[in-house]
Amino acid sequence: MKLLRRIALYAGLTVAAITFIYPFLWMASSTFKPPVEVGSLALIPHDFTLDNYRTMWARAPFGRALVNSTFVATTITLAVLVFGSMTAYAMARLNFRGRPALNAATIAVLMVPGQLTLIPLYTLIVQLGWVDTYAALIVPYLFNATAILMLRQFFLQIPQSLIDSARMDGMSEPRILFTIFWPLSKPVLSIVAIFTFMGAWNEVLWPLLVVREQNLMTLPQLLTVFALGGGAGSVGVSLASAMVLVVPVVAAYAFLQRNFIESMAGSGIKG
Amino acid sequence: MPSVTFEHVTKRFGDATVIEDFDLQVADGELLVLVGGSGSGKSTILRMLAGLETVTSGRIRIDDRDVTDLAPRDRDVAMVFQDYGLYPHMTVRDNLSLGLRLRKIPRHEIDRRVAWAAGMLGLEPLLDRKPKALSGGQRQRVAMGRAMVREPKVFLFDEPLSNLDAGLRAQMRIEIGSLQDRLKTTTVYVTHDQVEAMTLGDRIVVLADGRIQQIGRPIELYRTPVNRFVAGFIGTPAMNFIEGTLAADGGRMFFSAEAARLKMRAGTAESSEPITLGIRPEDLRMDFIPQQPTHGSADFDTLTGRVVLVERLGGTSHVHFQVGPHRLMASVASDSLPEVGHDITAHVPAARVHLFGGDGRAIGRTAEIV
Repeated sequence: MKLLRRIALYAGLTVAAITFIYPFLWMASSTFKPPVEVGSLALIPHDFTLDNYRTMWARAPFGRALVNSTFVATTITLAVLVFGSMTAYAMARLNFRGRPALNAATIAVLMVPGQLTLIPLYTLIVQLGWVDTYAALIVPYLFNATAILMLRQFFLQIPQSLIDSARMDGMSEPRILFTIFWPLSKPVLSIVAIFTFMGAWNEVLWPLLVVREQNLMTLPQLLTVFALGGGAGSVGVSLASAMVLVVPVVAAYAFLQRNFIESMAGSGIKG
Repeated sequence: MPSVTFEHVTKRFGDATVIEDFDLQVADGELLVLVGGSGSGKSTILRMLAGLETVTSGRIRIDDRDVTDLAPRDRDVAMVFQDYGLYPHMTVRDNLSLGLRLRKIPRHEIDRRVAWAAGMLGLEPLLDRKPKALSGGQRQRVAMGRAMVREPKVFLFDEPLSNLDAGLRAQMRIEIGSLQDRLKTTTVYVTHDQVEAMTLGDRIVVLADGRIQQIGRPIELYRTPVNRFVAGFIGTPAMNFIEGTLAADGGRMFFSAEAARLKMRAGTAESSEPITLGIRPEDLRMDFIPQQPTHGSADFDTLTGRVVLVERLGGTSHVHFQVGPHRLMASVASDSLPEVGHDITAHVPAARVHLFGGDGRAIGRTAEIV
């Protein structure tokens, strides 16, 4: 009876897993199929080909877009981690006038939908003369209220005696943050990093507004322009460009996921 | 020359005054214990000395240098925390040496000091472990080692033993005492445990509500508490108290309360205010065979009661007994103990009695200091 239930459970989970993973695998394999094969549901290409990637690369500057996207998403992620944890540290562990107001303001920022600020932000960028620059893609994302609140919540749990010890040892506040808090905050830093990176990497609407020059376009932007503009020509080429978009995020996730587990298991501060 | 001086130090958190007009001098090489209940302000005083809390008004000096506005790192003090405050991601060696590295002490000097502290505390085999892999007592030693390698003017201990189990606490208490004996470094030690205070302190400061109740050598606090708070706080088990009044009768003073009438020491002043009589459990002597009722006893130096509980601790036992409305306790040798429900008489030596007035202050000095 117990065994049967176990089998049923595993069967159910397997079906669910396949439902999620199959479309992804199909997309991956279809990028290696010639046009005639793309319609088939098989996961192994009959005639393996790299033509889809060659066509894609030839028709639009995807290489350049990949570099742009990597640069923009990495810069944003690092900035959110550094500035976000500095803000969170101050909000969680320093006493200063106006701290409750700052907390409230940070939470209030979360309640404003991004679409609402899109037009004013765009106007601002135009007035600053930042259209068609990296600054337009990066600067609006340097601070992230969600990240600040997540980090703050985690920082609140770190024992006060660690801060006290570090101060007695002669550390400055930034040093306490980066050499004591950061190593202890790997789980939350990883989570913030991956969400920020994915958000920045997948952003389409904002780049479409502020960047028109092809050389500055990010990958999803170029992909949208390319696919919607009919530049791809075939399904295989569209999928190949989508693949280029997805792989770095999956890789980043796989890399950081190991880190999550490691630091969750190793974060014994007391005991 | 005093090593540490507090001058009129006041600390407020918002509208709440935690420490008011605090004055204290700690002598060079002395181990001074600050003891009090929670909220007494003892930790705040220590943290102000460390530089971890600001001072609202007043000055703090270390070796005649005004440190009131200095950062913790510039005060030449080292602190041991209740939960140790060890960096979990660093090895014991790094935990010990970090403060020295940050002060740009030469490498060979750091190695020398780490080896010295590790040798003294038996930490050599643990130097490459992380705090996670240490027992509570070992972590405590690392925390002490970290303070020692700094070779500071003043050691600060903030309830360092309260996270340890009873056996280990006793052992570490002895280690801290002997360490201080050898190092002769001025030490301020905060605890809520009066046993620690009594055994470790050269002098003890008893605090309540941010004010000093009494300063003195442990035995002074035990024998001549200046008020009811200190009398109840210092000494284990705690002192017995009976509320009553004093009245003269035939040239002698008598303490009267419901079911109790006791003759006081000659020279006890008359007082019209309500009086609290205090007697330590170890100063009561007990007879099991009911003698005359208390009021009939010619000497008026006994209380008659009924045993309600006997706690056997081994060599000594605590006998709780009821005298009228008063619940009292005597600490007696375990050789022959009364049964629960039996009547007993407790002899109250007049020389050992403490009297406190309506405001809690000790009246006269009823016990001769022996």
